[in-house]
Amino acid sequence: MSFINLEKTPMKPEYLIICVEDEPDVLDAVLRDLSVFETHFVLEGFSSADAVRDFLTASDAGTIHPALFVCDHMMPGTTGVDFLVEVERFGLAAGAKKMLLTGQAGLQDTVKAVNHGHLDFYLAKPWTKDILVESAKGLLTSFIRDNGVNPLPYMNLLDAEALSEIVRDDRRLTDR
Amino acid sequence: MNRLQKAGLILGIAGFLFPLVVTFDGLSFPGHLALSIFLFAAFFWMLEPIPIHATSLLVILLGVGMLSGAGPIFSGMDPAVVMDTYGFKPGSAAAYVGTLANPIIILFLGGFMIADAAVKFNFDKNVTRVMMRPFGTQPKWIMLGLMTVTGVLSAFMSNTATTAMMMTVILPFMASMDKNDKFKIGLALSIPFAANIGGMATPIGSPPNAIVVAASARAGHAISFMEWIVLALPLVIVAMLATWWLLYTMNKPSVSEIKLKQNSIWDTSTKAILFYATFGITLVMWVTESLHGISSNYVALIPIAFLSMFSVMEPADLRKLPWEVLWLVAGGIALGIYMEETKLSDWLVGQIDWTSFSGVVILGMFAIIGLVISNFMSNTVAATLLMPLAITIGSTQGNTGLANPTLLALMIGLGTSFAMVLPISTPPNAIAMATGVVKTSDMAKSGILVGLIGIVLMLVFSVLYWNHVVH
Repeated sequence: MSFINLEKTPMKPEYLIICVEDEPDVLDAVLRDLSVFETHFVLEGFSSADAVRDFLTASDAGTIHPALFVCDHMMPGTTGVDFLVEVERFGLAAGAKKMLLTGQAGLQDTVKAVNHGHLDFYLAKPWTKDILVESAKGLLTSFIRDNGVNPLPYMNLLDAEALSEIVRDDRRLTDR
Repeated sequence: MNRLQKAGLILGIAGFLFPLVVTFDGLSFPGHLALSIFLFAAFFWMLEPIPIHATSLLVILLGVGMLSGAGPIFSGMDPAVVMDTYGFKPGSAAAYVGTLANPIIILFLGGFMIADAAVKFNFDKNVTRVMMRPFGTQPKWIMLGLMTVTGVLSAFMSNTATTAMMMTVILPFMASMDKNDKFKIGLALSIPFAANIGGMATPIGSPPNAIVVAASARAGHAISFMEWIVLALPLVIVAMLATWWLLYTMNKPSVSEIKLKQNSIWDTSTKAILFYATFGITLVMWVTESLHGISSNYVALIPIAFLSMFSVMEPADLRKLPWEVLWLVAGGIALGIYMEETKLSDWLVGQIDWTSFSGVVILGMFAIIGLVISNFMSNTVAATLLMPLAITIGSTQGNTGLANPTLLALMIGLGTSFAMVLPISTPPNAIAMATGVVKTSDMAKSGILVGLIGIVLMLVFSVLYWNHVVH
């Protein structure tokens, strides 16, 4: 994609933040806290891991790019940890960052999520908005770094310094 | 594909077909073929239905296919017959492909090796830290310091990478500033503007410079590394000071002190030291060309060979080099060759009686056109499209007087670098814009003023200075 294109057209969000939480009130709270990202990302809430799986497998692989999973652990059906392991193992969302937002994942589950689900962040309930937003910012910045995404459109929202460093380091943009 | 890109695709294909079905008086058959390639490339480069470096490669491919002795059109014909019929010797496919390894491309490759190694060892950050020290803490001097460092670095590294690095220096400070402090805008603009201007200081500072050097060499004047610096550096210094004064007076600070936090340390690993030494040797060799006589283009083989030999630059680093920039430039050089060999540029230039214009007017015209169009397209592309015409006009003026090929080439090349009105004008501008500190209107206001200053300065320099040293 050409440089001009990226800068000129109003950016259409193409990356998703997927939140999974079985309690509607809590899901609403998570979505409300993360709504600051809606200018640049599509924010989607799901009530169970199975619903996300259906969503991911049903949609065309080329059109859906999850950037971040914010996942509860204790849910009816597949647990959060098992789901994250599954995402990792079957490449359902290559490159996406994974956050476990939970109060009830025991040590064993958490270890499993880290070792087999490539868990990137563990946030214990109850959370504060600031911490949730800051950690999501960090994870989304890493997502951009690790997946060859053009950092410029995100500088205003995420960690601008880290994104500048990516431009310097990675030569994703050059003189023309 | 957006609407502009679609238009580019259609216009490019239509432009390509047009000279194949319509005959122009006074233009030879090979000239028509070259015009096809020119129109295709112009629309594709300007409107970018495909990446610009891909268009460059298509230019080389089309040249080999349509104009060279190896292509289907001329391969079956006796070159002597072609010469008699069209006044054109079928081009050498090897020469067309050879633009990819043109001496100026090798010079750039050497520059890229040095620049990437510099980033690898945080040389750029350390230089910044050391160079910022004498500038103290007053906002006024800090801004001048930042611009000076940016200018120096972007003379050797890519303007884009320099801007990105300098942003990491000023972003933490800008975040701590008051929301309404206008100085933030000044700072955020000073970096990309200084990078754009600094890129003019050396032949390797910015890709359009390569087009200038290549075109001037083909017109009979090879500009050496040091000669370029002697010509361009005074202009860069004056333009930099003017831009600093402009940005400072337009965006006065409300704070009286600025402290930049920088915590990089010199890398003292063996590889880093080998890099410092290689850079030092290369730089000395580059600026002393008049003493030893070895062209700076070939001196560039020293960093390429040494940094590879010592594994300072490993295969993974080599893969990260901006190869597409080299391809972009090569395609531009190839197009210039086609237009010259087929006499297309003579024909185009012949459509207007240039003798009625004075040298200053011609210089000014090319500088202004170059500056205006490169605000909307790649600087290299803008320089590429104007260069064959300018060189031909320069040559028809008898290689003397103000509008000589080298001066015209410089005018275009430097003019394109003064384009910094819009976020899309240059990648450094886009980075500044992306921080959200600057509004497009801020950038446009300052960018237009800097552009005007640039044009006036270039004309003054041509008449009072360059004219007397370049012939």
